[in-house]
Amino acid sequence: MIERDDPHLKQAFEALRREAAAGTPPFRATVAAARTRRAAAPGGRRALRLAAAVILVVVGVVVVSIRRHRDGVRLEIDLATVRWQAPTDFLLTLPGDDLLRSVPQLGPRSLDRRTL
Amino acid sequence: MSADLTAQLEQLHAAAFGWALSCCGWDRTAAEDVLQASYLKLLDGRARFEGRSSFRTFVLGVVARTAREARRRSALRRWLPLASLVLGREAVDGRPDPATALARADETARLVRALGRLSARQRQVLHLVFYEDLTIAEAAIVAGVSLGTARTHYERGKSALKRLLEKEGA
Repeated sequence: MIERDDPHLKQAFEALRREAAAGTPPFRATVAAARTRRAAAPGGRRALRLAAAVILVVVGVVVVSIRRHRDGVRLEIDLATVRWQAPTDFLLTLPGDDLLRSVPQLGPRSLDRRTL
Repeated sequence: MSADLTAQLEQLHAAAFGWALSCCGWDRTAAEDVLQASYLKLLDGRARFEGRSSFRTFVLGVVARTAREARRRSALRRWLPLASLVLGREAVDGRPDPATALARADETARLVRALGRLSARQRQVLHLVFYEDLTIAEAAIVAGVSLGTARTHYERGKSALKRLLEKEGA
């Protein structure tokens, strides 16, 4: 492939280059301006750090407030404090099951020889 | 900054400014800002020449990257008005400087208008080849695309530019 193979385009770009070259700022002035920017840069960095700190504080406050809100909701519906009973629980109760759950007393009063 | 680097940069200054103008849509103020920011990177050593390409290609690449960053900052400012408090003053707005636009000759004005209607990649590759006298391979490095892509942009861009110039001339 031949590059810059179009004489008309080449001519047009050369005119553009001549025009731009005439308006090019002096090299020394550009370097001096760049050095001035470097001297001014720490202020920008300070502003950036300040903005980052503000964002961190805002995010922290939001996170803490969300957590507090969530904790409050949890206290209201804490499942550990709720005793749930099924409607069919009564089917599990046997007649006289209080006797089964209590320990029989075997003592001198209950072992009456006269009754044996 | 070493005297050697300064001398090399001075030699490339006009070419770098032309490239900065192209990257900033021929906005002179924006181009000066981008060029200063690019020189700042070179001064600070944030952009370091490692000999992987020619020094000219390297410097033009730094200018292209800096212009992209400036465009991104400009877009951020448009979307987030408060960002200007952090990012500082507006650097690139992409609009041509009125004084520059008035002073521009008719033929070059037609070329700039036609270039503005091409895609960014086509505009970049054509500028690098015709204005900066780079080869397509070097233009590919500066633009950050593959050689094949640069060739495609070059051919399609050249055809489109010729068509646009003919249309404007008619």
